[in-house]
Amino acid sequence: MATVNITINGQKITAQTGQTILQAARAAGVDIPTLCEHPALSAWGGCRMCLVEVAKQRTLQPACTFPVSEGLEVWTESEKVVKTRKFVLELLFSERNHYCMYCQMSGDCELQDLAYRYQLDHWTYNRTYEPKPVDATRSYFIYEPNRCILCRRCVRACSEIAANHTLGLKFRGANSMIIADHDVPFGESTCVECGTCLQVCPTGALIDRKSAYRYRHKGDVQKVATTCMQCSVGCAVEAVTHDNMVIRVEGAWHQGPSGGLLCVDGRFRPLYDTRARITSPMVRRNGALQPASWDEALQLVAGKLKAGGALGVAASCTTNEALRAFAGLFAKAGGRAGRAEPALPAIPGARPAQVADVASADLIVVAGADPLEQNRVVGYFAKRAFDKGARLVLIGDSPNGMAAYAHSVFAEDEADKAAALAAGAEKPVVIYGVGTSDKVRKALGALADKALFLGLEPGPNGRGALQAGLTPVSAGSAAVVFLLAGDAPEVRTVELAGFLNGGFTVVQASRQSALTERADVVLPAPIWAEQNGHVTNLEGKELVVQAAVQMPAGVRSEVEVLQALAGLL
Amino acid sequence: MAEPLYRANVLVCGGTGCTASGSHAVMDAMRAELGRRGLDVEVRLVQTGCRGFCAMGPVMIIYPEGIFYCQVRADDVPQIVEETLVKGRIVERLTYKEPEEHKAVPYYHQIPFYEKQLRIALRNCGLIDPENIEEYIARGGYQALAKVLNSMTPEDVVEEVKASGLRGRGGAGFLTGLKWQFTQKAPGDIKYVVCNADEGDPGAFMDRSIIEGDPHSLIEGMLICAYAVGAREGYIYCRAEYPLAIKRLKIAIAQAEEYGFLGDNILGTNFSFHLHIKEGAGAFVCGEETALLASIEGRRGEPRPRPPFPAVSGLWGKPTNINNVKSYANIPQIIVNGAQWFASIGTEKSPGTAIFALTGKVNNTGLVEVPMGITLGEIIFDIGGGVPNGKKFKAVQTGGPLGGCITAEHLNVPVDFDSLKEVGAVMGSGGMIVVDEDTCMVEFAKFFLTFAQAESCGKCVPCRVGGKRMLEVLTRITEGKGTMKDIETIKEIAEGMEAGSLCALGQLTPGPVMSTLRYFMDEYIAHIEDKKCPAGQCKELTIARCLNACPAGVDVPAYIALTEQGRYAEALAIHRERNPFALVCGRVCPAFCESKCRRGDIDEPIAIRQIKRFMADQEMKNPWTPPRIGTPKSDKVAVVGAGPAGLTAALRLAQMGYPVTIFEALPVAGGMMAVGIPDYRLPRDVLNIEIENILRAGVEIRYNQRLGRDFTIDDLMRQGYKAVVLAIGAHKSRRLGIEGEDKEGVMPGVEFLREMNLGRAPDLTGKRVVVVGGGNVAIDAARSALRLGASEVNVVYRRTRAEMPAYEDEIRAAEEEGVIFHYLVNPMRIVGDGKVTGVELVHQTLGEFDRTGRRRPIPVEGSEFIMEADVVIPAIGQQTDLSWLKEDGIQTNRDSTFVVDKAFATTRAGVFAIGDAALGPASVIQAVAQGNLVAQAVDAYLHTGKATKPEYNPPYHFPELTYNMEEYVNARRPKMPELEPAERRRTFDEVELGLSEQAAREECRRCLRCDLEWLEVTGRNKAAVMAAQQKTHQPA
Repeated sequence: MATVNITINGQKITAQTGQTILQAARAAGVDIPTLCEHPALSAWGGCRMCLVEVAKQRTLQPACTFPVSEGLEVWTESEKVVKTRKFVLELLFSERNHYCMYCQMSGDCELQDLAYRYQLDHWTYNRTYEPKPVDATRSYFIYEPNRCILCRRCVRACSEIAANHTLGLKFRGANSMIIADHDVPFGESTCVECGTCLQVCPTGALIDRKSAYRYRHKGDVQKVATTCMQCSVGCAVEAVTHDNMVIRVEGAWHQGPSGGLLCVDGRFRPLYDTRARITSPMVRRNGALQPASWDEALQLVAGKLKAGGALGVAASCTTNEALRAFAGLFAKAGGRAGRAEPALPAIPGARPAQVADVASADLIVVAGADPLEQNRVVGYFAKRAFDKGARLVLIGDSPNGMAAYAHSVFAEDEADKAAALAAGAEKPVVIYGVGTSDKVRKALGALADKALFLGLEPGPNGRGALQAGLTPVSAGSAAVVFLLAGDAPEVRTVELAGFLNGGFTVVQASRQSALTERADVVLPAPIWAEQNGHVTNLEGKELVVQAAVQMPAGVRSEVEVLQALAGLL
Repeated sequence: MAEPLYRANVLVCGGTGCTASGSHAVMDAMRAELGRRGLDVEVRLVQTGCRGFCAMGPVMIIYPEGIFYCQVRADDVPQIVEETLVKGRIVERLTYKEPEEHKAVPYYHQIPFYEKQLRIALRNCGLIDPENIEEYIARGGYQALAKVLNSMTPEDVVEEVKASGLRGRGGAGFLTGLKWQFTQKAPGDIKYVVCNADEGDPGAFMDRSIIEGDPHSLIEGMLICAYAVGAREGYIYCRAEYPLAIKRLKIAIAQAEEYGFLGDNILGTNFSFHLHIKEGAGAFVCGEETALLASIEGRRGEPRPRPPFPAVSGLWGKPTNINNVKSYANIPQIIVNGAQWFASIGTEKSPGTAIFALTGKVNNTGLVEVPMGITLGEIIFDIGGGVPNGKKFKAVQTGGPLGGCITAEHLNVPVDFDSLKEVGAVMGSGGMIVVDEDTCMVEFAKFFLTFAQAESCGKCVPCRVGGKRMLEVLTRITEGKGTMKDIETIKEIAEGMEAGSLCALGQLTPGPVMSTLRYFMDEYIAHIEDKKCPAGQCKELTIARCLNACPAGVDVPAYIALTEQGRYAEALAIHRERNPFALVCGRVCPAFCESKCRRGDIDEPIAIRQIKRFMADQEMKNPWTPPRIGTPKSDKVAVVGAGPAGLTAALRLAQMGYPVTIFEALPVAGGMMAVGIPDYRLPRDVLNIEIENILRAGVEIRYNQRLGRDFTIDDLMRQGYKAVVLAIGAHKSRRLGIEGEDKEGVMPGVEFLREMNLGRAPDLTGKRVVVVGGGNVAIDAARSALRLGASEVNVVYRRTRAEMPAYEDEIRAAEEEGVIFHYLVNPMRIVGDGKVTGVELVHQTLGEFDRTGRRRPIPVEGSEFIMEADVVIPAIGQQTDLSWLKEDGIQTNRDSTFVVDKAFATTRAGVFAIGDAALGPASVIQAVAQGNLVAQAVDAYLHTGKATKPEYNPPYHFPELTYNMEEYVNARRPKMPELEPAERRRTFDEVELGLSEQAAREECRRCLRCDLEWLEVTGRNKAAVMAAQQKTHQPA
């Protein structure tokens, strides 16, 4: 890439053509304060915190948008710059309710940080704002407009990252207000609760119900990079913890298949699971489950497995390591083991797509799947493509969350027509799921040379299960059924319930459910945030899962338990 | 059917202004009348676009003669048809009347409004039918396009536009050709051409007029641009509030497509261009190019930082050229006539013409196109016809709500992009709003700020919040709650907004405020420190405009209301609270109150001075003993001079309980009231009644005591006077400074009047008198000279009658009495052998504007002539005689006035100065006002040893409303009965006879009682206001 020579604060710097002053400065280690700027969002240039003095420019220029060019001279902390930044801060503080001590985000607020940086201990101007009502109609977070600085990060996040376009603005100038849709309460809006807006908000205007009021300084929380295990996309996340508790889940920007975008399942579900934890092995005695020692429980289960012919079913909700141990256990015990989810049909000759390919497609074929339901982030990526003009070809007439975006819909019988249409596109991507019929599969095969294919693995770690040799199994009449539920959400435990056959039942799970109620032995398992290991996502990438909090006493990792059982055989 | 040939064309303006004043009805009537008489086959009726002269609308031009009719109504039409179209005669009553002498100007090209104009962008507006492409073609339309497509490369076109020097008419003035070149050179296959027709400045309507009056000139300009930059598609972004413009654009585009000027393979070439209209929803910020592009793309209309500029990344990220309507409309003319032709017009750096929407307090409101470099004064006074109703020009706001104001001192500034910027204004889109003396500049700035901040898009913080915060501060000031610190706050916000805002809207929002701060700081200070709005516009600070205008703060509505009820004594008591000279002021006051009277906005102001005289005359026989309002005090105060200022100061101090002595140089009291104003205006016995009233307060006068001759200030101090108030007036005439001024027969004006009033009048029987000057002293001297038997009295004045500073009534009375006025002449020398035999005069012509906004007279070489005379009375002004001033510690100004602070304190402790000696020559009421105030200052000084600025805080009374205002809607101002001119010119009897009781009381009922409205509008409670008054003003 071509380079240019610029000067920042008298220091000579080589910058890349196409960089902004901000990017070049950051690369050179020069810190320019920002507020509306966000690394995952397009440059906006509205807050004016990053204003710098540029030679030959009449007014100060925003570093976040101003492109570098040969010979550019920049001053980032000149008297005029600092004065104007302080002016901007004073105005912001005077605009609405920015009394830090009353705000739950005090200590973890970008506006506050800037006030400290520029030693703003008072502001001259009137405080004449009219309090606006707080909107607490959303399940997971609250909109507090009085703390809003109108930086529009949320609006940009909603449209650029989630491609949902729920958030917008009403009125103009000093009356501007962030609104959902045509100014309806958030709870009644088209919001999909992906929480991206919440994560990008620099102040206390969007309040997370779970982590609010839990800490007073950002140093009081720790962040652990790990991988979401709610579906097979495997988004990179940061688990924000305090006091050995995950209080918030954030997307890791520019990391993982989604680059930081999460969905409601990944961001909020793990924190809102109200089912009781299982913290001790339990054994059914006299018709009732009663706490037992690990030794007793493992001996009992090992005894049953020894007889052979046991059926092992994994919900693909756990790590590759645990799945391999599970397969190994059954290989040793001479039983039958597999995964609970059905198989994803194979399309001959198909080249695999990455999730990111979906957003840059100019035509997307969806068959046998509803990404917005099953792998929401894939759906959001598709919507990003639609925003850029991509067309959606939908095959099949069952209800589908994507239907509203469809350019054309074909019945399964006409799948070849859909393929023909897609063949005319430049960068088609096929998203298909377990519902893809044979006929459709064959028709799509015609696109093998042209399109990229993203198969939506039904289990969160379905690929990991396959790699461990756990192929889909069917229910049968085994005398012993061992269900590896792990931290499976309630819906997946229902799926597993189909394998119950009245025989002796072992359930390894982190929380109580209908499954555990019917088990003869219950083995406690860690929840997602307590796991260490790897998962393999739908792209086939092996991703790291790292424990953010410690397991409660009495819980052992799945791998440890399964290996212990194998040892007892 | 073949079109018939016509012998005449009747052009009726269908522009927005004329439409509003009823041109459609005129059009319909004309069509009907022509049809009825069967003339429709020989007379063609055309509805045109705007002709610019909106003030005179609806306007009509009849060709081939070019007869111009204005303010035409439908029922004038039969006469126009009969007289002009049938008989070929001009209907004089419908022609334009030149305002000074009301001479009819029947032909379009002779009207001063058009004379100085040069129409390029507007060349077809008002001349062609905008809905007919053939009329455009007939005027040379689309020739430029054909020339470009057939004989020029795109590079040639860009070079031609560059060579013309055309600068963007949207306001910023960027070189159009250069902009085109950027787009032309930008890489990319798809490019766009966009026209910014989002004209959002209040009062600006030039883009609209071009689109409505000549839409094809815009289309042709855009076509040429598209060819030059390589675009195949274009957008016109026009605000939806311009339905007529959009309608005509649609028609024009359809016609251009039909004729093959738009579409594919235009004129048989491989050039193709498609043009779309995008209607904007009216956000002002969408006039900013990046916001405009966002709006076309369907996004919220908000600007984005540049670079990248639209030329590189514009509409949908493609290279885009954006120009204003006016810029495009100039292009075809540049191509047809050549770059050199265009560059030769206007100034070197700003070639071509500028279009202004002239509005506000100017006679000829409308749209004008003038060559760049014309002065502001020429636009406002020559084309615009000056300020209506004889009011004084104050400022002009250029560049709309983001522009700045310029004052009288800049009337010679050439109008071009750079010169305007230098004086703190901008060319902008061409709005030009003229304001007169009645405009409050703080309120004016607030008006624009209110607009600009409401139009902020809200994207960037400095504009979104800064504008609002600044408006709050400004509002506080207009409500009288400001502090001087607020000025600093405003400046800080302005600086931050200018440095930090994203687009021009935010950067320029502080413009009007900053330029008014620059030129009218005194008005801000008046609002903040005096809690007074000098123009009487700020609601919170103005109880009634008359009261506000009175320097002494006399409660005019109250005494008018009480006079109406026949309660003369009470009315007079209220008057005397602020002014003890009701009899005098009822006769000689310039009546600032009347000039601001709101009734004057409707018909004529209330005859306040005449009512005052009537009221005071009723009580003439009842002596008044001024009430004592303070306890007796021991500190003695000396007042030097028994004029209106000194007498008032003495009265107020005596009322406060101080022993006061007045030292008067003359053998009579009254100052200029006694020895300046002749008896026929103010009889001496009437004046003496009021002087005696004042003496009744315990004031002593010592006559024939001249400061510097008979006593010194040190003497006074030695005699135990603790404070001295100098009110010595201005009793010395200014010298002409020409040869022969000391010849026998030269009698300086002030001295002439003084001698006369002291009973030592010269005998002027049979003498020829020349009075030099145009002020009140000149007129007094002239009229007195007539009465003293002069055979002929000539007044020579170097400017015109309109600029004479004397009161209009006085000039008129002098004319009636036979005084002969000579304007635009100035004396060069006084001739004669020892004795005056004449004055050599030279004719004057009016040149550039001076700082007061008047044209400066310059002598016409070789036009000298001698006017024979026996007596010459120079009366070009007077000054204070300071020849006595030997004492140290009292400083004076260059104009012979004393240096005083806001408490009227001179540079010597304990010595104060008021009246003409402090102000320069002024009126009785201004002297009285200072007399009131200095008493407060002296009182404070004697209590604290420090002179503190007195508070302007007059009492208000709010008497009941006892008449039905609606019955007096049609009542007219009475005429003051006067002696007949023939009768009065040889006597010194009072000329004005006074109103009858019925006439005076009837006249009171025309009062609109603004004071009561103030109570209501500002939500005040009468009882509470009165109670607050009681605290500060003890009962009189």
